[in-house]
Amino acid sequence: MADARLARREQITGWAFIAPALVLLGLFMLYPIVWSLWMSFQVGRGMNLSFGGFGNIQRLTQDVVFLRALGNTFTFFIIQVPIMIVLALLFAVALNDSTLRFRGLFRTAIFLPCVTSLIAYSTIFKSMFATDGIINQGLMAVNIIGAPIAWFSDPFWAKVVVILAITWRWTGYNMIFYLAALQNIDRSIYEAARIDGVPAWARFRYLTIPMLKPVILFTTVISTIGTLQLFDEVFNFTAGTGGPADSTLTLSLYIYNLTFKFMPSFGYSATVSWVIVILVAILSFLQFLIARDRRRPS
Amino acid sequence: MNRIVSRRGRLLGLALASVSFLSVAAASAGDVTVWAWDPNFNGATMKEAASRYTADHPDVNIIVDDSASQDDIRAKLQTQLLAGSTDGLPDIVLIQDDVAQKYLQSFPGAFEPLSDTIDMSVFADYKVAAATLDGKSYSLPFDSGVTGLFYRSDYLEEAGFSAKDLENITWDRLVEIGTEVKAATGHQLLDLDLNDAGLLRMMMQSAGTWYFNEDGSLNIVDNAPLKKALETYAKFYQADLVNPVSGWAEYTGSFTSGNTAVVPVGVWITGTIKANADQSGLWGVAPIPRLDIEGSVNASNQGGSSWYVLASSDNKAEAIDFLKTIWAEDVDFYQQILVDQGAVGSLLAAREGEAYQATDEFFGGAPVWQNFSTWLSQIPAVDYGIFTAEVDAAVQAQLPTIIEGGDIDAALEAINSQAQQQVQ
Repeated sequence: MADARLARREQITGWAFIAPALVLLGLFMLYPIVWSLWMSFQVGRGMNLSFGGFGNIQRLTQDVVFLRALGNTFTFFIIQVPIMIVLALLFAVALNDSTLRFRGLFRTAIFLPCVTSLIAYSTIFKSMFATDGIINQGLMAVNIIGAPIAWFSDPFWAKVVVILAITWRWTGYNMIFYLAALQNIDRSIYEAARIDGVPAWARFRYLTIPMLKPVILFTTVISTIGTLQLFDEVFNFTAGTGGPADSTLTLSLYIYNLTFKFMPSFGYSATVSWVIVILVAILSFLQFLIARDRRRPS
Repeated sequence: MNRIVSRRGRLLGLALASVSFLSVAAASAGDVTVWAWDPNFNGATMKEAASRYTADHPDVNIIVDDSASQDDIRAKLQTQLLAGSTDGLPDIVLIQDDVAQKYLQSFPGAFEPLSDTIDMSVFADYKVAAATLDGKSYSLPFDSGVTGLFYRSDYLEEAGFSAKDLENITWDRLVEIGTEVKAATGHQLLDLDLNDAGLLRMMMQSAGTWYFNEDGSLNIVDNAPLKKALETYAKFYQADLVNPVSGWAEYTGSFTSGNTAVVPVGVWITGTIKANADQSGLWGVAPIPRLDIEGSVNASNQGGSSWYVLASSDNKAEAIDFLKTIWAEDVDFYQQILVDQGAVGSLLAAREGEAYQATDEFFGGAPVWQNFSTWLSQIPAVDYGIFTAEVDAAVQAQLPTIIEGGDIDAALEAINSQAQQQVQ
């Protein structure tokens, strides 16, 4: 009896301790999320909203701009995430080599981009890739190109710059995860492999990668979510237009324009936001599925 | 419904209040804050107006904030009006004419009608019309966006062209001139930004049309001036006369650094061009070229904006009195901002002032202000509607295809279908 009362009191104390956090979380996380779901079924201009059923979802299927933004987002994600993950992995393995000199310096140098502000670095990238910017001048000086490339006036090159920029910004971030994971791998495994005469690439392929699998999965999911939410870079590169010809328009930028630039359509932009939520859920689920340990029947 | 909206409004307001806390704290009672976006132009003229007013009204403090870009101001205004949170909004805000109706119609009651206290007949009609809704006018008309073809007279001279050769020409003729100027001097004719459809709108308005019919429906597929404008746009690229730029800084950098030979643009660029005093005497201004179709004239408009008083302002009386005293009555003030910033105001009486009769050495001693006044009276009036931003985006989506020589009719169809979808 007394035990039960004590347990009960502990229960109450526990809940009381987390109550403030729960209330704040509910108010600032849960409430807006539920509200946005409700809003995604509303149609109308500005504040004149009314319930529109599946009107917004119907609008979604006919919206060429949305499809363009979706296509761009997928292009960025399919091309950029693998490049970045592979690069980060290679950097991490190289910098984990204890015989390498100035390791600390290199680690810092590669990690440093991800402490810079998104706005600051995209502004600098924009000026570097200007028609008369340092990149064009450099490429021309070494005779790789004959005439300057108008990076932001060409749908293809504009995408390339975005991919370069986010790769520069986030590779170091992912590398840190791999480095940490690599240092947790028992050295004796490698030693044994070396004694058995396993070549370096095979040690990488059959030892390092399988051991890093959970971390690779984690970084892939995080990067996928990040790419789906890509906004700051493209907003700064293109003065908010996602141009030229919507070639760098991402879903997030489109949501922003629907709300703050065009005639405000709150309901519809909430619908597009939920598309991102659903995409993140599906893609993360797929990645877990692919990376799941295949248990062989014994 | 209202209950729910206002509840959300309060919540968003709570979040925004913390963001805008600093800006609110900066302004105390009795301060009139103003948002403008160009320190060389509208910011500078507003500061001049403020100093004139406070000389007679030492109790009023006018704070002009011209640190944000126009896009930022629009986004801030729209966000806060949507959120129903007016803390941190200024007392007076500058809004461009072609988006004014969107704000007036989307946010009824957010702006103070000025026609009750200020006589609007002293301003140019088309400026007042842009800010009039249901018989009330909401703005103090500021600058005209009358366009001109600003050009480097030294480059054109080198290719054998004088000011006369630019009088009353078509855009096609400008392409020919540009080709010769490029051959003689190596300079590209002009700089264009594929993310900005301003030049196309300017061309279209010279023929008295816009993206919309009178009833507000889309006018794209059968819009002959728009089609002609797109063709002309493509010609600039096919003749290789364009310096491609991206963003405002690159856009102005191209002609202020002397890379390109001409700028077809609204008169408000004068301040930016004249900021480079070492180029005095090297510039000229010709009438804007016309489209080679019937009904197009050598005059058009680009931009132009007006001052709006927010209904939420705590200092409405001071703000309105300030606008009335300086902006609606002080003819001498208009002479000064014309000379200093190249601001062609909308106060009709100001055009009789002496500065408007004067010549400008920066532009080779030409009577540029008289010229702009003449062109101003020839601008075909159009109704800008409320969806210009949406159609602009649809047009910009087709520009890369068009400049590569793509089919214009197909592009118009694509613009139409995208715009149709977006305009709802």
